[in-house]
Amino acid sequence: MQKKNNLGRLYLVFVFLVLYLPIAYLIYFSFSTGTTMNTFKHFTWANYQTLFADTRLIQIVLQTLLLALLSSLIATIVGTMGALGIAGTKRMSNRNIMLSLNNILMVSPDVIIGASFLILFTMLGLSLGFGSVLASHIAFSIPIVVLMVLPRIQEMDQALIDAAYDLGASGPQVLNRVILPFITPGIVAGYFMAFTYSLDDFAVTFFVTGNGFATLSVEIYSRARQGISLEINALSALMFIFALALVLIYFFIQMHQANVSERNRKKAEASES
Amino acid sequence: MATPIVEFKNVNKFFGDFQALKNINFALDQGKFYSLLGPSGSGKTTILRTIAGFTSPTSGTVLFQGQPQNNIPANKRKVNTIFQNYALFPHLNVFDNVAFGLSIRHVPKDEIETRVMDNLKLVHLQDLANREINELSGGQQQRVAIARAIINEPVLLLLDEPLSALDKKLRQDMQYELRELQQRLGITFVFVTHDQEEALALSDEIFVMDAGEILQNGTPVDIYDEPINHFVADFIGESNIVKGTMIKDYEVEFVGKRFECADAGMKPNEPVEVVLRPEDLDVTTPEKGKLVVQVDSQLFRGDHFEVVAYDADHNEWLIHSTNPVEEDKDIGLFFEPEDIHVMRFNEKEADFDARLETYEGE
Repeated sequence: MQKKNNLGRLYLVFVFLVLYLPIAYLIYFSFSTGTTMNTFKHFTWANYQTLFADTRLIQIVLQTLLLALLSSLIATIVGTMGALGIAGTKRMSNRNIMLSLNNILMVSPDVIIGASFLILFTMLGLSLGFGSVLASHIAFSIPIVVLMVLPRIQEMDQALIDAAYDLGASGPQVLNRVILPFITPGIVAGYFMAFTYSLDDFAVTFFVTGNGFATLSVEIYSRARQGISLEINALSALMFIFALALVLIYFFIQMHQANVSERNRKKAEASES
Repeated sequence: MATPIVEFKNVNKFFGDFQALKNINFALDQGKFYSLLGPSGSGKTTILRTIAGFTSPTSGTVLFQGQPQNNIPANKRKVNTIFQNYALFPHLNVFDNVAFGLSIRHVPKDEIETRVMDNLKLVHLQDLANREINELSGGQQQRVAIARAIINEPVLLLLDEPLSALDKKLRQDMQYELRELQQRLGITFVFVTHDQEEALALSDEIFVMDAGEILQNGTPVDIYDEPINHFVADFIGESNIVKGTMIKDYEVEFVGKRFECADAGMKPNEPVEVVLRPEDLDVTTPEKGKLVVQVDSQLFRGDHFEVVAYDADHNEWLIHSTNPVEEDKDIGLFFEPEDIHVMRFNEKEADFDARLETYEGE
């Protein structure tokens, strides 16, 4: 039994090594002098200095973030309404059709979505740029939001809605004061999923981006064709640390909340018996 | 006579092909405690939801204080509900849950504050106003649900099996509290339950339901002592039911013997069913007993012994005895003529009441 346990642990360590080694490698070389990742020469901050001096790259980072924030915001609003609509559909068959149409968009390859958007935009005669990228990001994010919000709606006890009506709430009041607060965790999760999808999308963006506008992934791809500079390593390191910090903060907030409510619940039970 | 608070006239409800309510007629008066009692699927919750306005009847009329309500939505009715699983809003704390009904009506803040605190005091939760819902025990959640439902000052409070999730001790405490609350507030309560003890203990009047019909309504004592048919007698309390024949008025034959009884108004030699409550059977010696049965087994129930015995025709008899009996021995059973209750087959409630009128007035 003990041996089996150790084997399991070994496997876990191995998996995490495979997952994190490339990132660690990338970050390691962001501190190296020279131009390639073949050998580590000397420790230096130079790559970070060039990164912060590269205004074009900084601007692209900001553009990418703006695009992700905006597209996921709009997709969250549309997707939440869509999820409410699907959940509210009475007929089982209609609901399944809508849900399937939503899921098809989730599983179809980015290349196809990107190409079809390109065809659509050129047919409509729209110029490619921030607008076209934003529209396509919103479009591929909506199904993700729907999938994140829908389970939360289905989890909701119908009696909560009855109770709200019973206490005198009108339809809009029920939505604002009961349904939306209840599904907020799903909406937040959907927003962040849409945000990350938008942030790291390459294929769709590559098709619909024009001359004047680039996102980080497209920019790094075009630079990589001339050989990657260690400046990109520095950028990757910073973004990784940023993401890690967010995850840690979220973890500690959750831990704190769980502790407080657990303590109060125990107190309540003790006082009753 | 004052106008009833709620009145159902020929109400039918279909869910697809399934008829949940079959021609329901009743009227509820101001300030009484009513129970709808029946097994699951008997239509009691459908009646509750129809009163609340969550479903509308397929045909028939629902009146509130004389006004037809069929098309009035739930949020416009002066009725509030306590739900089976309380349906408290998990994203709001105790105070905000109770304040919900007032805040959507845009009642001024300071008025909300005083009224919520008054209501929380009523249910002894004034110290927990800032707790989250998931930090409360079952009994506390129950109280929040009560406070939330009565803050709108409804004319009618609906309770959908509100005590079913609590353990036995707490349930009994809450029964007293509910009864006291109802008497203090003077609002009409309609209480849905499948627990006959709860209904008997709490109600001014009980409606016994089965398969979408009201079988019998009356005070708990009436229903317990004079059940209309086999189903009601079996469902309310414990009972011994045997087949018999009504020889003539005040004389009934069962298990091969004739007994004097207190029932009348039936055809001579009409086949009937006879109910004898276990606590009305007194154990005596075989010589003194009106019936002789052989003891099969007995269980000690704390305040009484529950004895199962069989007569010569293999009818089972359940007896509540204060003293223990010997197993496998013959014992005599003694009972008064009033302890015998005779039930006709397929008698409707109106006919039943009319028949009782003819001889009970004497």
